[in-house]
Amino acid sequence: MGYFENLEEETRKLYDIAKEARLKGHDIELEPEIPLAKDLAERVEGLVGPVGVAKRIKELEKDVSREEVAFQIAREIVTTPDEEGVEDSIEVKEQKSDQATRTALAILTEGVVAAPLEGISQIRIKKNFDDGNYLAVYFAGPIRSAGGTAAALAVLIGDYIRISLGLDVFKPTDIEVERYVEEVELYESEVTNLQYSPKPEETRLAIKNIPVEVTGEPTDKIEVSNRDLERVETNNIRGGALLAMAEGVIQKAPKVMKYASKLNIDGWNWLEKFSKAPDSKSDDGDSGKVDDKYMRDIIGGRPVLSYPKAKGGFRLRYGRSRNTGLAAMGVHPSTMEIVEFLAVGTQMKIERPGKGNCVVPCDTIEGPIVKLKNGSVVKVESEAQARKIKNQVEEILFIGDMLIAFGEFLRNNHVLLPAGWCEEWWVQTIEKSPAYSEDEALQEGVDLKTLETEKITAERAFELSKRYNVPLHPSYTYFYHDATKEDLNELIEWMKSGSTVDLTTDNGLVKKSFSLEMDPGKRILEILGVPHLVEEGKILVDHEDAYALLHTLREPLDLSEDTKTLEAVNKVSEVEIMAKAPTYIGGRVGRPEKSKERMMKPAPHSLFPIGTNGGSRRNIIDAAKKGSINVDIGRCKCTECGINSIQAICPVCGARTVPAGSGRKNVNLSNLLKKAFENVGIRKMDEVKGVQGMISEEKFPEPLEKGILRAKNGVYTFKDATIRHDSTDLPLTHFIPSEVGVTHEKLLEMGYTHDAYGAALENDEQVVELKIQDVVISDNCAEYLIRVSHFIDDLLEDFYGLERFYKVEKKEDLISHLIVGLAPHTSAGVLGRVVGFTRALCCYAHPYFHSAKRRNCDSDEDSVMLLMDALLNFSKVYLPSTRGGKMDAPLVLSSRIDPEEIDDESHNIDVMPRLPKELYEKTLEFAKPSDVLDLVDNVKKRIGTDDQYHGLMFSHNTSSIHSGPTQCLYKRLPTMKEKVEGQITLAERLRAVDQKGVVEGVLTSHFLPDMAGNLRAFSRQKVRCTKCGKKYRRMPLSGECTCGSNLILSISKGSVMKYLEISNELSKRYPIDPYLVQRIGLLESGINSLFESDKSKQSSLDVFL
Amino acid sequence: MTDDIILKFANAEILINDTAYNKLSVQKNSLELADSLLDDLLRNQRDVFIVTEDILDRYLQDQGQVSNYGSDADINSIVNNIIVSENPSKAIKPPQSKLMPNVPFDFQIVKDASKKSYTSGEIKDFSAYFNSRFQKIKGLLSKKGELKESYPIKDLVNMNDNVRIIGMVNDIRTTKNNHKIMELEDETGYTNVLIHNDNQKLFESSDKIVRDEVIGINGIKKGNLVIASELIQPGVPRIEDKEMDFSAVFISDVHIGSSTFLEDAFKRFVNWINGDFGDEEKREVANDVRYLVIAGDLVDGIGVYPNQEKELTIKDIYGQYEEAARLLGDIEDVKIIIAPGNHDACRLAEPQPAIPESYAGDLYKLKNAEFVSNPSVVSLEGINTLIYHGRSFDDLVMTVNGMSHERTDLVMKELLEKRHLAPIYGERTPLASEFEDHLVIEDVPDIFHTGHVHINAYRRYKGIHMINSGTFQSQTEFQKIYNIVPTCAEVPVLNRGTMKIFKFN
Repeated sequence: MGYFENLEEETRKLYDIAKEARLKGHDIELEPEIPLAKDLAERVEGLVGPVGVAKRIKELEKDVSREEVAFQIAREIVTTPDEEGVEDSIEVKEQKSDQATRTALAILTEGVVAAPLEGISQIRIKKNFDDGNYLAVYFAGPIRSAGGTAAALAVLIGDYIRISLGLDVFKPTDIEVERYVEEVELYESEVTNLQYSPKPEETRLAIKNIPVEVTGEPTDKIEVSNRDLERVETNNIRGGALLAMAEGVIQKAPKVMKYASKLNIDGWNWLEKFSKAPDSKSDDGDSGKVDDKYMRDIIGGRPVLSYPKAKGGFRLRYGRSRNTGLAAMGVHPSTMEIVEFLAVGTQMKIERPGKGNCVVPCDTIEGPIVKLKNGSVVKVESEAQARKIKNQVEEILFIGDMLIAFGEFLRNNHVLLPAGWCEEWWVQTIEKSPAYSEDEALQEGVDLKTLETEKITAERAFELSKRYNVPLHPSYTYFYHDATKEDLNELIEWMKSGSTVDLTTDNGLVKKSFSLEMDPGKRILEILGVPHLVEEGKILVDHEDAYALLHTLREPLDLSEDTKTLEAVNKVSEVEIMAKAPTYIGGRVGRPEKSKERMMKPAPHSLFPIGTNGGSRRNIIDAAKKGSINVDIGRCKCTECGINSIQAICPVCGARTVPAGSGRKNVNLSNLLKKAFENVGIRKMDEVKGVQGMISEEKFPEPLEKGILRAKNGVYTFKDATIRHDSTDLPLTHFIPSEVGVTHEKLLEMGYTHDAYGAALENDEQVVELKIQDVVISDNCAEYLIRVSHFIDDLLEDFYGLERFYKVEKKEDLISHLIVGLAPHTSAGVLGRVVGFTRALCCYAHPYFHSAKRRNCDSDEDSVMLLMDALLNFSKVYLPSTRGGKMDAPLVLSSRIDPEEIDDESHNIDVMPRLPKELYEKTLEFAKPSDVLDLVDNVKKRIGTDDQYHGLMFSHNTSSIHSGPTQCLYKRLPTMKEKVEGQITLAERLRAVDQKGVVEGVLTSHFLPDMAGNLRAFSRQKVRCTKCGKKYRRMPLSGECTCGSNLILSISKGSVMKYLEISNELSKRYPIDPYLVQRIGLLESGINSLFESDKSKQSSLDVFL
Repeated sequence: MTDDIILKFANAEILINDTAYNKLSVQKNSLELADSLLDDLLRNQRDVFIVTEDILDRYLQDQGQVSNYGSDADINSIVNNIIVSENPSKAIKPPQSKLMPNVPFDFQIVKDASKKSYTSGEIKDFSAYFNSRFQKIKGLLSKKGELKESYPIKDLVNMNDNVRIIGMVNDIRTTKNNHKIMELEDETGYTNVLIHNDNQKLFESSDKIVRDEVIGINGIKKGNLVIASELIQPGVPRIEDKEMDFSAVFISDVHIGSSTFLEDAFKRFVNWINGDFGDEEKREVANDVRYLVIAGDLVDGIGVYPNQEKELTIKDIYGQYEEAARLLGDIEDVKIIIAPGNHDACRLAEPQPAIPESYAGDLYKLKNAEFVSNPSVVSLEGINTLIYHGRSFDDLVMTVNGMSHERTDLVMKELLEKRHLAPIYGERTPLASEFEDHLVIEDVPDIFHTGHVHINAYRRYKGIHMINSGTFQSQTEFQKIYNIVPTCAEVPVLNRGTMKIFKFN
């Protein structure tokens, strides 16, 4: 049986148990509420319907593209009349248009995101002022989750439906057009920036030409001045409509035009004006431009690691490790240790090729070069070494490599930047050298396989270069381009005074070294990245490095010629010297990694409403002490005896009940709780937390038993009654059994047979290719899931009267159990299977798995839950009735990942065991990634074939996917003061960072705006009741809440002042811009004026008078 | 419209004959003209019962440049281009001495909030602040006949029939059927007030009601609603014309330190004040000037908005005030009254205390400078002048339909009617929770001077000179984006009771 069939069979087993449990009638529905969907078509049907559409989609899919299917389905829905030959009424047409739009949009968004459900609020057929009918699409805020293209296509679908129904185009009046112009401006000034902000002229052009009305429900409490328009129902901003217009139709104009012409939809040619919008930043071939967007806001405690293109910053290295790709990039674990602010999964904002990434450890690339307090310069090559010398580091001369996959450049449509000179490239120059033949080479003792990773002497490096006429080995290629020609001449001069000495190392061996007297020339050695020791006032360069230097810099460089340093070096060197680091990449630390159980605030054990009766902790036990409580709760009416209750089973006659609306009702909680305790055989508990009120339509409460059992096992529920654990997403294509805590025997049971290199799986140290729905969860996720499994077992046994299912004792018992992965903004869960554990704070899973959830790995995070929990406890009845309530809920479950049907971001994943030499050479020409695709193997090329599931190789191995710190320093330091302290100390150490700039950056973009914002907000703030939580826009005149309790400020003095002290301190300690000093001063006097009474000042003055 | 004119006269119990009526009705702004004519008649000539063509003609003539303008045409009629020729006479005249060089200034600070900030940011301060507002305005409302006996809201429970209440507006919203429901609050409780759209006049008058102002309601209690029959704002009475034998100049929003500060224009302005610039007639007016009032934003400040430093020529707040002192230091024999605005080195929350000496040391050294808070009231030879920078305009323009930054006269009128300078809490205008609400307009001023929007406005309302004094900063990048056209270097001068505007650009 295949992998997918295996998963499906296991899934069915769980469904069967859940069905049996549900049949007991304790829940509102008699079966699990998550339909299973094998593919896109089934997901669409499960998510938005209509019934039977899956079959039709599958039929159409055989012949035409996905997009065409979507439009065709939409047309079929609206043009099939209810009664043959009779035209549908307007209402029916509206309703069908609504269905058609949602279904088509769901097809276009792979049936995963919540946009088709939540992004469109309604479709209406309205009248133009010339009496013609037109179609209006009402967008809601969550259209954002669909992305610009889907939003734009929703408009195009609308137009297609309009044409299919034979309706007129929308003819806006001038004032209606101006209303959009105003809303765009208001949205940007009051809400947030649009990705594309259209100029007033562009908005006018768009609105006048879009053939349907793009409107929507109010999203923000901001009123416009063009109000009370007859056809616009709201005077507030229509955020969804603006997104659909600006980030959708306008920003994605080329795509919209492409589809329009493909589907023969007329009337969209006006978009030409937008489609030429220059996409300049990705297109210019030259890398000379500094891209410092990531530097625009420097946040307190999130250090800048390198300025844009700064020498000593991250060196660009191409390739993919088994844990990179999909926006995750590799750095050496020793870099993580040395800078301390990076851990596995920490987000970084980077200069290029994209905006952000997550860092993961990869130890087959270069680590940092640091200068110690005693002056010695050390290449840090292992994590252990890094930990040992960490406290002696004075300067980080070079921060290390960043391993970036070719696919990242492809995805961002960013020109390739020159690659760093590295072993895997060098070895290919030999291989491709005309002077090379394998047989001869082997005879000469040259084995390319081992040569790539082997340490060789300098002498041999020069020999090989001469023998095969290739550039010098990367180990002996220094950062010459970072020094000036004058510097190098100074160095050459100084080295003349050196002499070779014997040096006894720690382990008693005698090593040759090159000894120099202390000299300013030492700085040049540091810049070149030449390791050396400082002992007794002498500088000792390793013999090998000295050899390389002396044979490269054989004579002084010619200063008269207008050449770059590297060119000049090549004129005097024995062999060719490549640019060690032609591309440095800047970056700063972003959001820290995360892996934590999801807890609402306050975190309930049970979705049972108790109002304010349980105190601020919402303790049901406390509330029950009042006996009966009055709460707004769902009512159920017995189908047999007609008695009202709040349970799915009539407490009087035991028959099923049906919901009968909600309202305030007296609930004998004391009785109910007592019974619930009895039912699950627990005598007493101190705390079972409920909720203040239900936010669902029906307000139907959960059975109290579930809450009691959750409390017993220390787990908390989310709004939909499932239990979630959230982690940062990281990609993984290969793993080593021992590293994730699984045995090869267990793996064999789970359907694994071979390792990545085709050998039979027979020990725990082999590198194994990950099956696409298997996940490696964090240790702390495992701990939580163990508790969840105990809860589920208790629930099955004590509440549903069935057998315990999981019987998990230790985390290894979780392996091979099924989980559901679910991302916010989506409504489709993805089936996964636990295969192992990581001590990093993240969830490692196949890139396909993350893409199926529509996530990438630049610090997105999402949740996992146990499948059985979702099946037993999830119910739509608990979902909030408000807009967006259906997001982040498992409305369907995809049982099988089809790489074709997932976000195509993952199609850019490289699968090459080694990047070809030609590709490296192309990077030197700033080639466009799309022009060199013939040199590359990636997922896209395998889509639709069996190869899409296996044989996805990596080019750079890593010995452990969780080496390096598991928690970045940001999370370890308790106060902002210490975080900033750490950030500034680090800035002082990093050669690629200007410390003063960082201090100023933190002040300008974090502390000052924060203080100014809070100070302003303080004088406009709301107040809140301490007891019932009611909020008042303004302090009531009575001075108290209507419930009689005290009110408190929502913005405390503390939050206004929190950065004042540290800002003042920084401004005193560092020579920052006087302008900033003055701004701090002004803020301080503003704060004092608001918080210090003149009375106290006066009385103190009075003493002197 | 015709009916409206007749109605106005009928309400004032004054008759208008046919010829006068016909003439009046074809005038531009006939309605406003009718208002002002009636105001004028009621104030000065109580014995007129029938308005004839003669009376109308005389009135129209008298109007001249002191008209009640609001539209552009009117504002231009009083703008005097002070730059008379390309080459102003090069003959260097000695500074003309003012008409009354040795007469001491009769200047008084009537109300000022500086050094009276007693808040310490506790919740009780917020309570005290709003209660102070409520009590002060309630006091004003209680003096009105219609509200002589009003009831605490909590007593409404037992009432039916006619009720009178005074409350602070908590919320105002429109119902599905397009009525309005207003939540009113006093220290005893809350009640909802229905404004039915059948009562058109009442409904329209409720358009300008904003949150957190204090109003009175006459109405009928029905169920848990009060159905309003009358909305009563504290309002302002018409004031007597005061004799004014000097001139006062009003400026604001000078923005010294900004790269868009019009330094040359400002220097011309200073020269004019000193009697060294402009034609004979303009110099005559200058000779008369005794007071220069600056209603905030004298300097551009620092850190007021993101990346401001890119638009500054003086990136130093002390330097900006030094420069201000240098420029204003040339002014002789004129008292300069300086209030802060949102760009000055002051706390942003209103009331803003006077610009501190620690920041503006050089200005404080000027003998003729006086520093007051925002807002404040000063007496210029007995003419009470209310100075307020105008931050709350932003909120009112956002909230009330039909108000705009171009027509601050409409906003100022409304603030006077509400008797509060910044009624709306919680939006853009930060309010300091002082024990006393200094923003209540307790006494009706003779002059109400504001700035902030960079666009001149002037209107005589119920005898009060409402002046918004434009700017000395040319159009900024921000204003360009929002298509705001400032009136630059056009200075309002109240010349013995007559408004004139002199251009220095």
